[in-house]
Amino acid sequence: MTTAAIIVAVASFALGALLALLTIPVLVWLERRVAGLVQDRLGPNRTNIGGFRLGGVVQSFADVVKLLLKEEYYPSHIKSGRWLFMLAPVITFVAALLAFMAIPFADTLVINGESLRISALPINYGIFWYMAISSIGVLGVIFGGWLSHNKYSLLGAARAGSMVISYELPLGLSILAFIITYDTIDFNAMVQFQSGTFFGFLPAWGILVQPLAAIILIVSLFAETNRNPFTVAEGESEIVAGFMTEYTAMKFAMYFMGEYVAMNTASAVIITMIFGGYQISWVSTEMLLENFSVFAFSLMVIIPLIITVLIRWMRKNNRVRPSIKADGGRDFETKVLTIAMVGMTLLVEAILIYLVFLSESSLANSIAVTLFQIVVFVVKLMLFNIFFILIRWSVPRFRYDQVQKLGWYYLLPLALLNIIVTAIVVVGVSL
Amino acid sequence: MSQHTREGSITSDHIKVTKRHGNSFRDKLYLPAIYDGVKVTFKHLFKNLNNINDIETLRYPEEQPTDITQRWRGLHRLTHRADNSIACVACFMCSTACPSNCIFIEATQRQDGKDEKMPASFFIDTLECIFCGYCVEACPCDAIRMDTGIFSLTGNKREDFVMNKEQLLSHKGAFAEEISCARN
Repeated sequence: MTTAAIIVAVASFALGALLALLTIPVLVWLERRVAGLVQDRLGPNRTNIGGFRLGGVVQSFADVVKLLLKEEYYPSHIKSGRWLFMLAPVITFVAALLAFMAIPFADTLVINGESLRISALPINYGIFWYMAISSIGVLGVIFGGWLSHNKYSLLGAARAGSMVISYELPLGLSILAFIITYDTIDFNAMVQFQSGTFFGFLPAWGILVQPLAAIILIVSLFAETNRNPFTVAEGESEIVAGFMTEYTAMKFAMYFMGEYVAMNTASAVIITMIFGGYQISWVSTEMLLENFSVFAFSLMVIIPLIITVLIRWMRKNNRVRPSIKADGGRDFETKVLTIAMVGMTLLVEAILIYLVFLSESSLANSIAVTLFQIVVFVVKLMLFNIFFILIRWSVPRFRYDQVQKLGWYYLLPLALLNIIVTAIVVVGVSL
Repeated sequence: MSQHTREGSITSDHIKVTKRHGNSFRDKLYLPAIYDGVKVTFKHLFKNLNNINDIETLRYPEEQPTDITQRWRGLHRLTHRADNSIACVACFMCSTACPSNCIFIEATQRQDGKDEKMPASFFIDTLECIFCGYCVEACPCDAIRMDTGIFSLTGNKREDFVMNKEQLLSHKGAFAEEISCARN
């Protein structure tokens, strides 16, 4: 291994860990703020460090501190299987975390003829890794509910079990349809396929090439992440908190964070498989590298525009009502953030100008393209996470027998039909 | 006879049939309904994201509620007479009426000739109080009222929540009537 390979591997591993872990507080905050805005409320917006609220995201860190400092309570009625009781939340959390690691954040970076993958785990069987690891997550839910020795927890575990048999088959079959279409099990190759077009003008995104399989995939992944409308295992209006009833403090927080990591992972898989991953539509990595100056100039125009809109929005909304005297340092925060954003924009512009006019190195260009693709990936990831959250506040929960009916009567036959049609079309095209 | 006619009069146009939803193909697809739901949530999200200060919630510590009515039961107060002395005659009506036994009165003789008795001490344990307003109803002298409009009482220890006579006298009424209507 060359030095460059080691540096890229370490950097992409760090990026993967950061994207999976650092998004947890952001997602918790996003969920609460979006829920508030959807319901015409505000959500947490007060917690600050020295006047810096950042829209209230500091609240999540305060919550973590609170959960860490809580008494480590252990239910005394649990006699056997204590270690598994403690291990169960960890299984859920770790499974979701590991499943995220196969996601490519950018196209392979070619350094001195050596192509290096920008994903935490440089493997070329990503989709199998995801399916294998993510389906372990539900074991944590079942163990936790079972070993709590509590009827509500047991019911939650039973429901989680019923969920697994409902969604795993349609999920696997819809993924199979994608594998047939893309002719690969490598996430990165899937994204490369989607940077092309079909019928001449449509981007070859999975949702346009395979609309039925895409819908089945999204529905099954919603079920796999235990998010609404499939929160049957928690069912707080029916079975207290389901499998989480006996869990407190950090043990509870593990389940809680695991849910958000799983949601993040599911979003990443969905955008990688059906929304073009780190690519913007119609534009492949080769096109970006060949027409680097055009790409750099359009970025130089677009970035200031986006930053201007952001700053205008912040100046309008990072204020208290005119009737309120105390401003709580929001003017100062707006000022500092504006300076920071303008400064970063200028920095990016300077780097782009340097790359276009002064630098001769093609390596610098490809690193710039890689960074751009990472940013596109993160933006798409966050947009789909917001979609996850919006669905939670739009659709009521299914009964668990309804989930089974949905899985077995509708999704499974549709997925099978889709595979047959896909296979016929693929074979027909290749003849 | 009448029984027969009543039965005979029930025809199909008199029976109200509730229309059941969910059987059409569109309903069974479920996705259009999700689309409709997401459209509503999206609309609210973007409307509120565009102007956060338009959301009609009370920014509580800075903005105080303005819709407290005269009959709303807030923290208690003891009323005064016209000469600013206490209106209470220590008759123990309020502490007798109190369902949570949170009023503790000690009576003493009144020296200024206006009445025979007055409270030497008057404690209300607001942690016990259920704010039912029975003390106000029971008072023959209009000496205790709950029209202060104070809805938030904070303290660092339990003792802070036991109101004594001076504290209760210092509370001002939030509405026009300041002095006792019965003793003046």
